[in-house]
Amino acid sequence: MSARDAILARLKGAAPDRSQADALLIAPERPAVDPAALEAEFLARLALPSVSASHDAIATLADLPAAIARYLDAQGEARTLCLPPDPRLERCDWSGFILHDVAAPAETAALAIARRGIAETGSLVFETGPAAPMLPNFLALHHIVLLASRDIAPYLEDAPLPGPQPRAHYWITGVSGTTDIEGTYVRGAHGPRFLHVILLRD
Amino acid sequence: MSAFDTRAAAALADPILKTAVERTAGTAEAKRTLAVSAFPDFGAARTRAAAIKDHVIAHLGAYLEQFEANAVAAGAQVHWAATADEACRIVIDICKASGARTVARSKSMLGEEIGLPHALAQAGIDRIETDLAEHIIQLADERPSHIIWPAMHKTREQVSALFKAKHRTPHEEETIAAMAESARRELRTRMLGADVGISGANFLIADTGAVCTVTNEGNAELSLVPPRVHIVTAGIEKIVPSMGHAVHMLRMLARSATGAALTQYTTFYAGPRRAGDRDGPEQMHIVLVDNGRTKMREEGLADMLRCIRCGACMNHCVVFRQIGGHAYGGTYPGPMGAVLTPALDGLAQSRDLVHACTLNGKCQQVCPVRIPLPTLLKGWREKSWREGLEPTSMRFGLGLWAWVAQRPALYRFGAGLAVRAMRLLGRGGWIERLPLAGGWTRHRAMPKPAARTFMDQYRQERGQ
Amino acid sequence: MTQSVALFVTCLVDMMRPRIGFAAIRALEAAGCDVVVPQGQTCCGQPALNSGDRAHAIALAKQTIAALEPCPAIVVPSGSCAGTIRCHYPELFEGDADWLPRAQAVAAKTYEIMAYLDEVLGWKPDGVRLDATATYHDSCSGLRELGVKAQPRRLLAQVQGLSLTPLAGEETCCGFGGTFCVKYPAISNAIVGEKADAIAATGADLLLAGDLGCLMNMAGKLHRDGSPVRAYHAIELIAGMGDGPAIGEEP
Repeated sequence: MSARDAILARLKGAAPDRSQADALLIAPERPAVDPAALEAEFLARLALPSVSASHDAIATLADLPAAIARYLDAQGEARTLCLPPDPRLERCDWSGFILHDVAAPAETAALAIARRGIAETGSLVFETGPAAPMLPNFLALHHIVLLASRDIAPYLEDAPLPGPQPRAHYWITGVSGTTDIEGTYVRGAHGPRFLHVILLRD
Repeated sequence: MSAFDTRAAAALADPILKTAVERTAGTAEAKRTLAVSAFPDFGAARTRAAAIKDHVIAHLGAYLEQFEANAVAAGAQVHWAATADEACRIVIDICKASGARTVARSKSMLGEEIGLPHALAQAGIDRIETDLAEHIIQLADERPSHIIWPAMHKTREQVSALFKAKHRTPHEEETIAAMAESARRELRTRMLGADVGISGANFLIADTGAVCTVTNEGNAELSLVPPRVHIVTAGIEKIVPSMGHAVHMLRMLARSATGAALTQYTTFYAGPRRAGDRDGPEQMHIVLVDNGRTKMREEGLADMLRCIRCGACMNHCVVFRQIGGHAYGGTYPGPMGAVLTPALDGLAQSRDLVHACTLNGKCQQVCPVRIPLPTLLKGWREKSWREGLEPTSMRFGLGLWAWVAQRPALYRFGAGLAVRAMRLLGRGGWIERLPLAGGWTRHRAMPKPAARTFMDQYRQERGQ
Repeated sequence: MTQSVALFVTCLVDMMRPRIGFAAIRALEAAGCDVVVPQGQTCCGQPALNSGDRAHAIALAKQTIAALEPCPAIVVPSGSCAGTIRCHYPELFEGDADWLPRAQAVAAKTYEIMAYLDEVLGWKPDGVRLDATATYHDSCSGLRELGVKAQPRRLLAQVQGLSLTPLAGEETCCGFGGTFCVKYPAISNAIVGEKADAIAATGADLLLAGDLGCLMNMAGKLHRDGSPVRAYHAIELIAGMGDGPAIGEEP
């Protein structure tokens, strides 16, 4: 008998009723989020020490390069950027930037477009796809994220996106941190040491 | 002295260990307390989390089949392993088939449980531990001492010395930040060049076939995206019905483990790289591991299968806080380890673990899935008694006492004698050395009993 | 109206510190109870229960149930013994059609002494005075199995002249754990050592708690450390017997 058959033979039983499983999710306990102030709630969570992300806001997508330039200048970093191959970004004027779309092991800054923001935790929701590679977001020292303000949803339950399941669906709620040495928090363990969110309020 | 006593004595004699454990566990305890008090009705949330896991465990076979079908539909290959050895063999075979020379490993307690680091070494495969604590452990050639902070037992000074001896370009400044930076330099290029990435799973999502991992370092993603092959080893109890259920469990896990609302990086992986994807592995393998879990479900330990490995029980355990994790001698330390280790390694070898507990109930109080840990430990004690594993002196002593205690008149007579005998040994109000109770009087004095027992005095006073 | 109450003395109080039993009687009588001490009682069986010796635990539980069940209410000056009867007796007789209902009936009317005085009777000590500062340790079984937390503090607040100083880690186990403290003396010692330090740091004159086992452990450690802190069961103070000898003092 295969291991599969041996294990399943010991676990025989009635198939679960979907309604039973769903009933376990009625009125979940979760932190209160004011649905009328999603952006403010989201920004408040971004500022928590556990997330400690900075943010900026722009009115149109055309303002994105200037906002990134502002951020990199303030950080004393060159205007070198790893940009995902997203057609929306091609319409921006990137003059003055050195761009590339494959992240180097010592990448300084990478931009990503979040599909959703979650007010409950200050999380940014991403999915992989042809226009959205995953690795740059975990390699770069500065992780810069574009998020449309209208894409902020209240709760983690709102994170799943419509459409077919991507290879990876992931939430980023801060920077690469560790408390592995004496419980002391250190930023930039492996990946980003800085997370900067640019809110698009169009 | 038993092996456990020896390890515990060594731990108690180590002031550095005590300092190290206190720094991390103390911080975790304080942060959890804050997080729980800020959460609306954490008690009800714990009840819900327990109910979700109970539901899954009751229908585990069906959910595993559902998960398998959906994972396969997403392009993953699903393997089943009844034992630890079988699981290791499957992983090694996949590595060999893909011509792997190096694997990047993202911390997984199941990997430790099945002995994967050892199996990889035996197969001649170079292993890169990517979690900072596991990296420390690997350099020191030790075992994890905590399920969330595997290097909890190490002080910064010890880590510094280790990195200076083993890193190619170690830190110069004696700060924790500089040490972390040294590890970042050391690990990054090696991690990105690995042939295979191996992770565990925090949750398996039945209705999508996705595997969820959580990390604060982002090391799982860094070690799983670049390699050609991603292998997941997961205990069969890691299933949840849907993403919604995972969300509730994630809220409980992060708060209970570190006091955060959520871990920094939470990823759901469904299959290998898709057409058009810019990165991701070419193959994804999921190894579903039983290793005693079906037996636990059948033999009264189903409650333990609710465990989500948050570590809160050990952070709040007075015994763990004194002796640290290594003294427990198994993969899993603390209260949850004391329940799991007899199931994994056998009760005869781990009999001490089920007794080295004051049954104070704190672990049960903080458990996010309401596992009745003291009750389960008492269940092991009963089994140990039934199977004759308890020492003869204990069986005889308790038996004699119980025989007398069932005869109230004889008991009163015996209690009166005992009181008089004890009083002969006392000086002032205290007894400093008491035969047969050296365990007590070695460390503390025993108050001298009153001249006559309560029952004796009461009968006389009330004329009964 | 007089409430008839049975006192379950506990084996430890019977042998080691009878005045806790007499203090319980005194407080209950002051609260208007008619107290009886059933003679069939010895030990609730907790040492057997916690050692895995189920057969003897059941035998002693049966004896205790038979001795106590004629009484309308049972009061115990120990959270852990009360917890054994209230929480664990019904578990012991699961599936036993004869004994389970009897165990449940006894469990339902068994109370820890301070919880009974405060919550059931709504009684307060009257005219009790003791000029001292005290700190209180929450014994684990009483706290977590029976919810004994506010009741002793409410009762002690009525003792004139007594001020309570909070104990850091008041809900942390003292390391007694029944047979644990003699099976693993070194670990137990490390735990009670920290507890003794925390008690000493309060600067209080008195250590109070609701369980004699924990009190003997902490008092014995304090004594060995040379600490001047004196230890009492809280019911002794509540019953106006706080002027007598503390644990380890000759009368």
